[in-house]
Amino acid sequence: MEIKGAVALVTGGANGLGLAIATFLSEQGAHVVVGDLDEDALSGLGGEFDHHVLDVTCPDNVTKVVNDIVKKHGRIDILVNNAGVIFNEPLVNIMNPEGMIHDYTRFRNSIAVNLDSVFLMTGAVVEHMIKGRTKGCIVNISSISARGNEGQTAYSAAKSGVNAMTVTWSKELGRMGIRCNAIAPGFINTGSTNSALTETTINHIVANTPVRRLGEAKEVAQAVVSVISNDFINGTILEVNGGITI
Amino acid sequence: MNEKLVSVLAEVFNLQPDQIVPELTKENVGSWDSLKQMDLVISLERQYGVTLQVEDIIQLVSVAKIAEVLKRKGVDLGD
Ligand SMILES: NC(=O)c1ccc[n+]([C@@H]2O[C@H](COP(=O)([O-])OP(=O)(O)OC[C@H]3O[C@@H](n4cnc5c(N)ncnc54)[C@H](O)[C@@H]3O)[C@@H](O)[C@H]2O)c1
Repeated sequence: MEIKGAVALVTGGANGLGLAIATFLSEQGAHVVVGDLDEDALSGLGGEFDHHVLDVTCPDNVTKVVNDIVKKHGRIDILVNNAGVIFNEPLVNIMNPEGMIHDYTRFRNSIAVNLDSVFLMTGAVVEHMIKGRTKGCIVNISSISARGNEGQTAYSAAKSGVNAMTVTWSKELGRMGIRCNAIAPGFINTGSTNSALTETTINHIVANTPVRRLGEAKEVAQAVVSVISNDFINGTILEVNGGITI
Repeated sequence: MNEKLVSVLAEVFNLQPDQIVPELTKENVGSWDSLKQMDLVISLERQYGVTLQVEDIIQLVSVAKIAEVLKRKGVDLGD
């Protein structure tokens, strides 16, 4: 698919990986629209991208923002479901006798922001794609945690669900010319990685990554652009992880 | 320090034996989280034949404290 001139919506595009993806898509000539909850970061983007305050967990807000974008730009060709929050909590925390078992509210919140969000956004965007006969592309940002990562019950479950929806939608929507793929990053050098992991853990990860470093946000953005550009890639979960397996 | 305890803890925390000193605390060891704590409990129970209750487990926050809890459980650490 031709990226130049395409209308691309990147959720969570005001920071981190989303910002790198939005920037790279824009460099390839896409009209990029960023949707994010972080109003300060959105205003920091200046006039670089069209942007909207968006809460991807809120169905009414999702519908409204998607409708507004379609009204303004005529269509959405590319949706990058990037908004998400890395979340660590083991099923059992033996050090906390008062609350030893994973808190259910935090479990639900992590599922809402990492899984429900992808369902809500994709439904809202694909409805317009189908009605407008747009041959579009959905890219979901998953994670290598989808394989199941210790200390990440909710996050792993959510990302695994994202992978399953990706394959399901590739099968359902391919006939309409809409492709759906996921990028599953490993450990990327971003603010969220640095705040979620201790320095010792990061050193351990680097030592266990065959290429002996963390990934860069731009490398995830390059993977997003590859799957969008290649019209025969559909239903793929592309790991961008330097060779590490968890 | 007791040689056996040093080697048990070095293995659990993936550290060199000379890094296992009484002053070493949970805060100094990046990998010492609640999952590591389960590895620690299982290793101590297996190596010393003790049963650790939740009240004991939450006290295992430094090498000195680990030694203290083991001694309270009747383990002879030779000091
Ligand atoms: N950084 C990594 O190493 C890594 C690895 C694997 C997967 N990921 C995934 O990549 C994606 C981006 O992560 P990141 O590291 O850039 O995180 P980040 O925290 O830097 O950025 C996430 C963005 O999403 C936005 N966001 C959060 N909740 C939102 C909501 N309810 N509605 C709208 N926007 C919301 C935030 O405001 C932020 O701008 C996530 O889906 C994450 O799970 C990251």
